[in-house]
Amino acid sequence: MSNKRLNLLPVWAAVSAVIILAGIVLMALLGFNVALDRPESKVFDVHYNVVVDLNEESKASLERYCEQAFADAGIVYSDVATLDGQSDPVSLDQGSFSQTGNDFLLRYTFGADVSDASLAAAKTAVEASIAGDEAFLLPAETYVSFDTYSLQPMNESVWRGAVAVAVAAIVALIYVAIRFGLGSALTGLVACVNDAFLTLAVFAIARIPVYTFAPMLYAAIAAVVSAVFWLIRCMKLRDDAKEPSAGAVSAEESLAGVCKATDKLVWIAAGVTLALIVVCALCTMMTGAAAVFAGALVPVAAGLYSSMLLAPALHVKVKAHFDAIKRKHARYEGKKKTAKANAED
Amino acid sequence: MSKKKSVVLLVIYTLLIAALCFICTVSFSYGTDNLYTFSSVMRMMEKDADLGIAYGANADAGTYLGGGYSAVYYPEGVISAKEFDDNTDGMSEDEAAQYAADYVRYPDENGSVYLEKGVACDDNGAVLDSFRTAFDAALATVTARYAGLRADGARVESVGDYAIGVFLPAMMDGEYTAISVFAYTGELSIRAGSDEASATDVFTIRPGQTIRDYVKKITSRSAGDTAYVEFTFTDAGREALKTATAGAADTAVTLFFNVGETNVIQLSVSEVYDQNTLYISGSYTAETANTVAVLFSTALDGTAEDLTLTPADAYFHSALYGSNTLVMLYIAFGVFFVAMMAFFFARYRRLGFVHLYTYLLFLFAMILCGWSIPFLYLSVETFLAFLLTSVLLCFSNAVSFESARKEYALGKTMTSSVKTGYKKCFWKLFDLHIVVAVIGFLVYAIALTGLQTAGFVLGLGAAFSGIATLLVNRFGWAVMMGTSKKPGKFCNFKREEVEDE
Repeated sequence: MSNKRLNLLPVWAAVSAVIILAGIVLMALLGFNVALDRPESKVFDVHYNVVVDLNEESKASLERYCEQAFADAGIVYSDVATLDGQSDPVSLDQGSFSQTGNDFLLRYTFGADVSDASLAAAKTAVEASIAGDEAFLLPAETYVSFDTYSLQPMNESVWRGAVAVAVAAIVALIYVAIRFGLGSALTGLVACVNDAFLTLAVFAIARIPVYTFAPMLYAAIAAVVSAVFWLIRCMKLRDDAKEPSAGAVSAEESLAGVCKATDKLVWIAAGVTLALIVVCALCTMMTGAAAVFAGALVPVAAGLYSSMLLAPALHVKVKAHFDAIKRKHARYEGKKKTAKANAED
Repeated sequence: MSKKKSVVLLVIYTLLIAALCFICTVSFSYGTDNLYTFSSVMRMMEKDADLGIAYGANADAGTYLGGGYSAVYYPEGVISAKEFDDNTDGMSEDEAAQYAADYVRYPDENGSVYLEKGVACDDNGAVLDSFRTAFDAALATVTARYAGLRADGARVESVGDYAIGVFLPAMMDGEYTAISVFAYTGELSIRAGSDEASATDVFTIRPGQTIRDYVKKITSRSAGDTAYVEFTFTDAGREALKTATAGAADTAVTLFFNVGETNVIQLSVSEVYDQNTLYISGSYTAETANTVAVLFSTALDGTAEDLTLTPADAYFHSALYGSNTLVMLYIAFGVFFVAMMAFFFARYRRLGFVHLYTYLLFLFAMILCGWSIPFLYLSVETFLAFLLTSVLLCFSNAVSFESARKEYALGKTMTSSVKTGYKKCFWKLFDLHIVVAVIGFLVYAIALTGLQTAGFVLGLGAAFSGIATLLVNRFGWAVMMGTSKKPGKFCNFKREEVEDE
């Protein structure tokens, strides 16, 4: 990769800033697209009780009537499940749920945009089909209803997650400051914060459907990946600093050398992680977990972006600044030493 | 290391791996009619409600199949349309008409609930403002209670306009208790007396005061296997409690801890209680103690006007992510494992065995922790964290192998190459693992639910990965290489060829 990237800090900063600012605005206005958690949905319930001795054929008929009614009403459901009825949780003496064995619920879930009128039409059609079917001798034992479900937000886990990621990144980079110097820690902190926000912004802007817990999980992954990738650079920087010629090399040349030496390692680490996540997503393709894995590609990609482009370019400036301070300090120390030597003479 | 010593150590190392493999993964029945069962660690480990498939010891007993339980809380003045139909079913026409006259279907003729006139709506069917306000307060209270549980997957939904749907994962031990007691509404009161009927309020709450002037907070804590509900009283509360239990030394006094009119805890006191903190244990687990503490905490803000809630329509829901997720995760891990070993054997030949042993030790350590640490469980998040630390271990091992390879290429002996290679990369790998572990453990310390568990797994995995790569891997290398006469060939390392001019 060309070392022109080290001189393009304003470009990388602008790219990050634009995406992050747009993301923050969208996060504030719309939040994330937590469609996978079904924040609002409509459910169409067919309760039935095996007191009417519903055999498998009758159960299949119920499903058929519902499917037909939905088709006639022009509505499409997103999920269907048969739920087993449980004893009502009223007596603490019981201690745990137990299956009643004769209450069942055939539940179809629709998007929130499906109209009540369509569901009412489907309800009427299903009720008519059941009433006209001799297999359902006791119509009162089946019951059709529909409702709107609205998820109530539980925000504590979200803000605690955000605080956790921020504190963890800062503490980890204090360790980096101790081991690799303040400049490296500052660049690492900027990279971590950038990647975490960039990840959240991508989810907010692209409206990628996620579970409510997922954005903070991805932000944490972004912070970890970013810190690891930056550490790889830091280690090489420290090795280079031990070279006798290190003092004569400019910050840009130093970073160019570091990038050249460690790019391959960063690419391999990112590639392996991305490949692993893709494998997990593919293996769980037919399950809900695929969405969680697929989303994890974003923080790794964000970490790769900042490690390749933003962090090295930023560190050129940071290192130059810290090198200048070091030189100034060295001159001051040198002057003091000279003065001391002169005084002794 | 001498060859004989290497062979002995290798055999012991292999036996250790085999024993751990057996303990972690093999289950079988034995004895007459297979009366006894040996359950592997994997079998005893619990898993997330979202992964599906009956698994683990609880599944053997048929009590845990992933998924969770839902119920609907109907406030007073609201009944489901189904219940209305059920109630009118056995009535005569007159009785049914009389019964129906007290109710209005809401919001229209297709509505799923009926509102009781005078309680929830007026005679014309218009919802009363007071009811609407009370319902909003009840919804907020129930949401606060389920959030307070901090259970992964807990949900509260408004159903239609005037019912509350709740869901808790079956992974919990006390989901039934939580759904039951969280329906209790009203204010917290503590009464003292010889029986519930004659008990009088411990606190004399004057106008302008609330129960908060007497009770600071209610929390839960656990020590070992014992869990407590902890009441912290203000000075006024302590004084009132002292007065109420003044005669306890002569005649035992029972304290009744109520939410609304429902008694939740009875506590016999046989001496004067004069402390700011009261611990109540009993048959609580950490989870049920937390449930009761959350209930009392939210009841501190309860009022006598709170709507009473009736839990009904309880159903079991199968796993969120689908029934085969766990199998698919195992397949994904299998693919990762095969790819990892293919790389190590292809690049490092028999040195791949060193990595294999190191990785297996890391894997079994993680499995044993997953089983023995109570709050750990297998979920998509924890699986992801585990895989990331697996990548970290592979990466670290590869770095240490490559470091030694470079030294060997320069012409050093294998022993010297390994020593120098490790010396060169030790602090780099150390820093890498420390940073990941710090992030993981801090996220665990601050975050909640799934992210918290994933953070812990990340921290734990990084710690194990560090130990594995810096200590175990080097030990395994020394042991295995000692059995080979040609260490260079063993590791697939080559010398740099220098052409003579």
